[in-house]
Amino acid sequence: MKRMSGETTPMAGGATQNWITLAAMIIVGALALVSLYMGFQAYGNEEIEIAFMYMIIGTSGFIAIGYAFFRPKPTSMDPLKTKKFDVITTLECPQCNLKRVRAFQKGDYIYKNDEPCTRCEGKMVITSIHTRKEEKKK
Amino acid sequence: MCSIYTNIYIACSVKNSSDSMSLLQPDNEIGMILQTLFSFAFIVYLFYAQRIQAMTMLRQIEMTLRKIKGLRDEGKTTAIETINEIGKPERDPTPMVERFMEHFMIEPVSMDPAGVVGKLGNILNVREFTFEKEVEAMAPNAEPSERNNIENLLEASLALNIFYKVIRHYYLLGKKTLNIYIIMQIHMILPLILQQIEAYSSALTAFSEGMPIGDGVGPIVAAKLLNGAETRDVAKEMVAGEIEYEGRRVIITKAKGPGGSVGKPGDAVTNLLNENKGNVTMLITVDAAGKLEGEQVGDIAEGVGAAIGGPGVEKYKIEQAATMHNIPMYAVAIKQGIEHVVAPLVEPLFEATDKAVSSVKGLILDYSKEGDTVIVAGIGNTVGVAQ
Repeated sequence: MKRMSGETTPMAGGATQNWITLAAMIIVGALALVSLYMGFQAYGNEEIEIAFMYMIIGTSGFIAIGYAFFRPKPTSMDPLKTKKFDVITTLECPQCNLKRVRAFQKGDYIYKNDEPCTRCEGKMVITSIHTRKEEKKK
Repeated sequence: MCSIYTNIYIACSVKNSSDSMSLLQPDNEIGMILQTLFSFAFIVYLFYAQRIQAMTMLRQIEMTLRKIKGLRDEGKTTAIETINEIGKPERDPTPMVERFMEHFMIEPVSMDPAGVVGKLGNILNVREFTFEKEVEAMAPNAEPSERNNIENLLEASLALNIFYKVIRHYYLLGKKTLNIYIIMQIHMILPLILQQIEAYSSALTAFSEGMPIGDGVGPIVAAKLLNGAETRDVAKEMVAGEIEYEGRRVIITKAKGPGGSVGKPGDAVTNLLNENKGNVTMLITVDAAGKLEGEQVGDIAEGVGAAIGGPGVEKYKIEQAATMHNIPMYAVAIKQGIEHVVAPLVEPLFEATDKAVSSVKGLILDYSKEGDTVIVAGIGNTVGVAQ
């Protein structure tokens, strides 16, 4: 684990540690593979006790690798970023009921008399501001 | 040719066979190495398991801490940019923003609980006054509603700064002592803390742009009930208007928008009750409420009591006033997750406000009769919602 450079700034390199983890997993995997191979060989020669021992070691190695891959992690590796929101403003004309939807603009607020109606001479009122519904991925 | 291949094959087979035989012996070299390695790993794990676990957890906390630091910095940058854009200050607001982000509030002593709400209310008023003055100095050319938005934005940045500092404290303490129980405390609640931090980071966008937020469903319901009726100021940053519904006189109050403010609903309700000399049949509060996992965003629930969050001062005032005049309190809650509260309003929540309006009307019809007076209070932050 890398050290913090100061009292305030975390400096450890997550990427370096990932490489170390990956290298450790490769080594354990190779040892587990060799162990399993020797286990099968011993089983072929009817040396059941030795085969059992090697197979336990080999299987444990693969279980350890599997755990390292699929263990629950409290934090993801993705950096936290401020979400971008697709916000829409709905305008309605109280006189002719014309409805218009556009992207949110700074200064918009609900019940603001906004822009002139394009159909009649009335003023359009902002009736709703909300984020666009996210379409579920198929 | 054929005989040469046959000879090689036989030679290889003999060699492989002898290798296999030697490998299968329990005392062969590779077997010994394997056994030693696994025995060594077992012994290491036996003595250092807790330390390895502590180091792994510390690493995860450190990764999270780095991300939170990024968000904290982003919050500060957004606040400074917004102040420069809206407030057009003559000098650089950065030192003032940095000072603001370190602001703290000391809660009153509660060993003798009598009068503690009043003391807390006094401290909150001073805090509010100080924030207003700070923002006024930072953004002298901003409109009052814009100042409210800047104030909310700075509060979100302040919250992110506190989260960062607290997590850093536990991280450094854990690292210094390598005490697994200190490390575990913060590690276990990291996912919950991250949820809150992500919510506050969404607030940066909402407050800098002046968009309605999830907490604004109460004021939206109030505004929909008002439907353009004339309003007047009834308390600090609170307005009220009257409508007639099925022969009932309905007084509706909400925070004054469209700037980001929650107002003083406790004072507003108290003043309205005093104005009407207690001749009010029922009081309905509408507010956003935290949903449980499994509940849908925008679900509506009806209940009794005062639906209002916060430090408790305003809730206390509403309860006091209602009890004094013996007025039944009804509540309408609009369910939402922690990630929605200060984030830009999502569509299901906006749609839920129509259902909440129907719910309020249903309560009025069920529990009052023609000629009665009813008070409806839309509780929450009214950013991006006028009246």
